Amino acid sequence: MNSESNSQLALCDVSVSFGGFVAVSGLDLAVDRGELRCLIGPNGAGKTTALDLICGKTRVSGGEIRFEGRPIHELKEYEIARAGIGRKFQVPSVFRELTVRENLQIGRSHHTGVFANLVRFGGSTDDNEVERLAELVGLSDALEMAAAHLSHGQTQWLEIALILAQDPALILMDEPTAGMTGQETHKTAELFNRLRGQHTLIVVEHDMGFVRDIAETISVMHQGKLLAEGTLDEVSSDQRVREAYLGSGGIGHA
Amino acid sequence: MNLTGKSAQQTLLYGAFCVAILLVPLFLDDAFLLNKYSRYLVFAMLAVALSLSWGYAGILNLGQATTFGLGSYCMAMALKLGTVPVHTGSDGLPDFMVWNNVTELPWFWAPFHSMAFALMAGILVPAAFAALLGWFMFRGRITGVYAAIITLAAMVVVNLVIIDQQRFTGGFNGITDLAQFEVAGLAFDAYSSSTYYLVAFCLSAVLLLSLAITRSKTGMILQAIRDQEDRVRFFGYDVALYKIFVFAVSAGIAGLAGMLYTIVMEFASPTFLGVPLSLSVVIWVAVGGRQSLLGAAIGALIVTGVQGALSESETFLESWMLIMGGLFVLVVLFLPKGIAGAFEMLAALFLRRSAAKVPSVSQPAGEAITHGEGAS
Amino acid sequence: MELVVSQLLTGLSIASILMLVALGLAVIYGVTGVINLAHGEFVMLGAYCAWFLQTEFGLGLIASLVPIFIVLALFGWIIEALVIRHLYNRPLDTILATWGIGVMAQQAVRLMAGGELRYVEMPAALSSSVNIFGATESAYRLFILGLALSLFALTWYIYRHTAFGLKLRAITQNRDIASSFGINSGRVYRATFAYGAGIAGLAGALVSPLKSVSPEMGTTYVVDAFMVVVLGGTQSLFGTVASSGILGELSGFLAFHSNDTIAKALVLLAIVILIRFRPQGLFAARVRT
Repeated sequence: MNSESNSQLALCDVSVSFGGFVAVSGLDLAVDRGELRCLIGPNGAGKTTALDLICGKTRVSGGEIRFEGRPIHELKEYEIARAGIGRKFQVPSVFRELTVRENLQIGRSHHTGVFANLVRFGGSTDDNEVERLAELVGLSDALEMAAAHLSHGQTQWLEIALILAQDPALILMDEPTAGMTGQETHKTAELFNRLRGQHTLIVVEHDMGFVRDIAETISVMHQGKLLAEGTLDEVSSDQRVREAYLGSGGIGHA
Repeated sequence: MNLTGKSAQQTLLYGAFCVAILLVPLFLDDAFLLNKYSRYLVFAMLAVALSLSWGYAGILNLGQATTFGLGSYCMAMALKLGTVPVHTGSDGLPDFMVWNNVTELPWFWAPFHSMAFALMAGILVPAAFAALLGWFMFRGRITGVYAAIITLAAMVVVNLVIIDQQRFTGGFNGITDLAQFEVAGLAFDAYSSSTYYLVAFCLSAVLLLSLAITRSKTGMILQAIRDQEDRVRFFGYDVALYKIFVFAVSAGIAGLAGMLYTIVMEFASPTFLGVPLSLSVVIWVAVGGRQSLLGAAIGALIVTGVQGALSESETFLESWMLIMGGLFVLVVLFLPKGIAGAFEMLAALFLRRSAAKVPSVSQPAGEAITHGEGAS
Repeated sequence: MELVVSQLLTGLSIASILMLVALGLAVIYGVTGVINLAHGEFVMLGAYCAWFLQTEFGLGLIASLVPIFIVLALFGWIIEALVIRHLYNRPLDTILATWGIGVMAQQAVRLMAGGELRYVEMPAALSSSVNIFGATESAYRLFILGLALSLFALTWYIYRHTAFGLKLRAITQNRDIASSFGINSGRVYRATFAYGAGIAGLAGALVSPLKSVSPEMGTTYVVDAFMVVVLGGTQSLFGTVASSGILGELSGFLAFHSNDTIAKALVLLAIVILIRFRPQGLFAARVRT
């Protein structure tokens, strides 16, 4: 934390407000390369907004965001994505009218130019990679199916696979297990543990069971600020964290 | 190219359509009818242009006729200058300029002495216009209904300017009394099979080229943009650039259609970039199926064909407009994918029934895994 | 002085007609989000009703207003029930469907009443002219201005001070939540559509003595009305009034200093630029996105 210059991602004194409502204020957050960081906090703490700020969906009104040493908070969304940041949204967002295969091909965005892609009709390396990813998230049998026909859990996995196809250095996951069955959540945790080390992950989650399965460092947000940081045991015994969660039934039930 | 059964079938269908329209003159020796059919084919090309931007990229262009009209004027200017001295006044000035006391050929008319320039301008001017308008809209994230309204308003502006600048454009009358289109020593009489072949050939080329675009990764990304614009952006694609591209390609195709229309009709008029034509194109495409290039083309042929067949009688034509309005509303309500969508639905139903008898093909999963590293 | 007043009056007269025509569209668009491209045809039908009532039954224009409102409201009610209610989730398709309805209405009128121009007589009591600061203005135009303002006031009153208006505002805020509190949004939408259509009919009837009545007359009105609504902001009734005023005076001014065609082109161009940089309109407050 104290060596922010070495971190892969660093948010320094970041704030944003919507028409008077301060969603994030003076947020400092640093994440190292290859780390799997969980971001938790009571409702309205600004977790999703923090992810929005990193990927450029929302513009900061103050402060700075640096990625691999370079300020990115003034770049356009697609430039941030090209810099190596991928984002999974809370509401699963895939291309419903396209097949799973086509979805994955779009996820593979190493070439982003209009004209470069005009002469690209999907080659064997692409196909192999697409099929590997489909296998990874258990969608091999659904490759030619329109994404609209997938179940909710499958849609979540498809979006995760899309981000993996993009292969960004940093992945932002907003409630990846929302709406998943217990078994599906468990499989997702396994998947995340496998990704550890290859990608840096920031995961916003409410499901504490899931957090317990994957977490090493946890950052707790409250009222738009960073409240505490540490291992699960450290943060759950922190007095301020207990107070923040007061009334919402404690950290385990948030 | 991914040549699974479905896309091979599709290619075959498109090929068959192209062959069919190219064969028509072999069975038809009526110059008047050939001219009429050439006109319908031009409309089909215009429909393909709209299907590309509306059906594939989700940009409803209510001003498709703008670019059509620009192309048609480019051709008309060249053909007008080709009439020296029959329908031009002294110093080679077009007749309407002489009547309007213009003494010198305006600078933007001068290059149209060259047919090669005109042919290029007929495609590039509309494409550039669309690229500029697209840049203006899409960089500002204007989408959906607002984009539709901007395209409509832009068309009315261009139309008004052309009518107002009578001295340079012929105003309400447009540009009439044109020379015959000639290129590489070939003359294209509007009432002959040569012009029909020219139009049919261009339509085939446009159709196949557009098909290739939709099959490419760019085409896929455009469809993804139609589905979920934001999601695409966060993969690192410059969404606005993709939209500008398809908008400009669509405009270039419309420009080509406009040039051909001037050759077939032997004049250019402000009505070519009018609201009625523009909205007609939307009808053709909606009826034929906005998400199918071929469907859109066939939609144009059917609607304009029936309209043409009924146009001999005034009352029929008017009740036809009534019927067409009703038909259009019904299509919008119940067949959002048009005739092509209905056809696909039937085909899928039929295939499912026959597929039930064949054992399903197993997934080649084993090979895929061996290529993946690390993750498994 | 005389010239200025006469200029202002011309602009005001254009503005009052714009406001009449745009009010119905603004109400429908603001509440239901439907862009009604058949709005011009509603106006046209209102004008034809006035003509029909006058030639067949000898009914004066003023006496025709109430029946015309009822007929057009009924028409709007039916259209909503048959077509529009299926399309609330498909905004682009409402443009197409309402345009198809417009084509049908035009053709139906052309078949039944003929394509030639029709004329409606001005109420005799209002055919004089009034002198204002040395400039003259016809009493009828002033009557239209007054009526346009009263209709606006009525609409505003319904929106702000009635139980129905409260439901309306709840639905425009959030349709799902309003529904969960037992507000029947389907019925509110239908009533809104009928009201908007009725006002469009009144607009048509009122302009009929000033302009000739033809099946195509609606086309220009729908474009103008739409521009007013876009300029004013879709959620703001006062915006509609203000933008009618601005556009009316602007077109009057530009038409006086150049010509009609270029004036129209310039106004359209201004609106295109406005949509690009302020799609929420000039008079709407910014909200959290």
